[in-house]
Amino acid sequence: MDATALDQYLHERVGDAIISTRDQFDTFTVEVHPDRLVEVATLCRDDRGLACNMFDSSFGVDEGEDGFAVVVVLYSTTQFHRILLRVMVPGGREAPVAPSLTSVYEGANWMERETWDMFGIEFDGHPGLAPRILTVENFEGWPLRKDFFLASREAKPWPGLKEPAELDEDGNVIDKVPGPGGAPGPTDLDEAMAAQARAANPGSVLAAGPEDTVAEAAADDDTAAADDDTAAAGEES
Amino acid sequence: MSDLATPQEAIRPGTAPGEDIALEFRGTADFDTSEMTLSIGPAHPATHGVLRIVMDMDGERVVDARPVIGYMHRGFEKLAEHRDYRQIMALTNRHDWLSGFNNELGVAVTLEKILQMEVPDRAQWIRMLMAEWGRILNHLMFVGSYAIELGAITPMFYAFREREDIQHLMESATGGRLHFTYNQPGGVKIDLPKGFLRQSDELLKLVRSRLPDYFDLVLGNEIFQARTVGIGPLDPALALRYGVTGPTLQACGIAEDSRVTEPYLKYGEIDVEVPVGRNGDAFDRFYVLLHRIRASLDMIEQIHDAMPSGPVNVKLPKMVKAPEGHVYGRIENPLGQLGYYLQSSGSKTPWRFKMRTPSFSNVQVLPHLLRGTLVPDMVAVLGSVFFVVGDVDR
Repeated sequence: MDATALDQYLHERVGDAIISTRDQFDTFTVEVHPDRLVEVATLCRDDRGLACNMFDSSFGVDEGEDGFAVVVVLYSTTQFHRILLRVMVPGGREAPVAPSLTSVYEGANWMERETWDMFGIEFDGHPGLAPRILTVENFEGWPLRKDFFLASREAKPWPGLKEPAELDEDGNVIDKVPGPGGAPGPTDLDEAMAAQARAANPGSVLAAGPEDTVAEAAADDDTAAADDDTAAAGEES
Repeated sequence: MSDLATPQEAIRPGTAPGEDIALEFRGTADFDTSEMTLSIGPAHPATHGVLRIVMDMDGERVVDARPVIGYMHRGFEKLAEHRDYRQIMALTNRHDWLSGFNNELGVAVTLEKILQMEVPDRAQWIRMLMAEWGRILNHLMFVGSYAIELGAITPMFYAFREREDIQHLMESATGGRLHFTYNQPGGVKIDLPKGFLRQSDELLKLVRSRLPDYFDLVLGNEIFQARTVGIGPLDPALALRYGVTGPTLQACGIAEDSRVTEPYLKYGEIDVEVPVGRNGDAFDRFYVLLHRIRASLDMIEQIHDAMPSGPVNVKLPKMVKAPEGHVYGRIENPLGQLGYYLQSSGSKTPWRFKMRTPSFSNVQVLPHLLRGTLVPDMVAVLGSVFFVVGDVDR
């Protein structure tokens, strides 16, 4: 069935359980009421027209302040259509609990364990989420939540995050030549690290005073930025 | 190709087919056995890497088995949220290190879906050519390693002889031997080098001429058949509810293959043969694997004939930004179906990048295959459910 037919077919049967449907980028998504998810999934599995006999995957998505969403991907190997069921998990960011699909598809077991491990979403009716499936047993925190920071990237931004060049409306590269004094100054983190280094090495050159070292660092930054720009320009040509 | 290379009844060593030995048990039947728990792995040769299987044993018989994964978790999904799309392609090359090209192709296909990008014809055909060579590379590895687990060392040397040639061919175009990073959104990085298609054609003839060796050496081997026929059968409906795909699913008799059911690239324009098994046992899984190599060689021949000329990529902005929304892209990887869910907030890095890997689902179904088998069969079952641990843990 194509997306329009699927949409109509689902609305005829479980219309009151559906919040909205969306067909974008060849991906048919049905937003479902959380407490009706098991019912809709069972219908997808057993209904002869839908015949979603294959459980593809299920995973969580961090939706910011709204909490979390759980997406379930079902596929039919006889009708060749794919349905993404999406629920907003009740409980917000504090105590998210989603319904478990392990009674409908056995394959949901590990997928939901992974979702719990990564997002801290509990699954009502799951035979056992613990121990943590991918991270180590005594791991603290929920790694895929947006408020869990990637430690190494906090200390030093990934070079890929830097914009190589910005384009104007016509697609031309905007040249940014740093003028004198235009280089970014030391960040809070640089200051903190410098203070830490001074405390750890009393009596070394670093302890001489913040002004000198900071000035030097700024000068270094300046040349580094200039180098970067020439490199970018070289790539462009 | 010998007549033996078809799924059939087991041939017991030392007897003519159809003439079974009647085994009579003469000991006392009421041994006092107590259950014990045996931990296989995480560093055991039979587990292909760091996978651990906790088995409850009653004597030699496996009562229950629980795979323990996560020893190789590298947080790919978190890392992907901190990288732009070109970098993600380099990253995904590495979760299933035996099918690097197909992984990055999955990202490219998903990304082009959300960007609604037109890919030049030649780029699509080049991608198909490389994807099929990559598939053969992957399958050859498993042909060799599975035979080693069952006690035959020679097929590994045969497989690596071919692998070396194929890697050499792919290196001449991509510059890489395992991690190719040849794709980019909208095409491939550079055109094929001069004379590539001729070399590819020669290699195709060579590999095809050597393929019967594998069928005779492994599939036709009496010991191999005795070790694998009827071992670890998988029920097709159960396999689907677990999301098992690839050769493991096709061995159950289900011809589900993304290249046929949801053609991406130009797979709709060539004949894609999907070999299937009958019983879903270890023998059939291996049988399907070998026939997939043959099918890929047939496809490569068709791709050679159809290869158009023209540009191989499109001009890209400095930074590729996916529009807001979500997309689910899926391709047929050597080990099964690979799905990428990409949710974008419109910035240069994805908001959520989920990797649905075939090995994860294939390993999850293992307890059903292992229950009731003997310890030596455990090795035969583990090797036949083709998986890569990096692909399980990500």
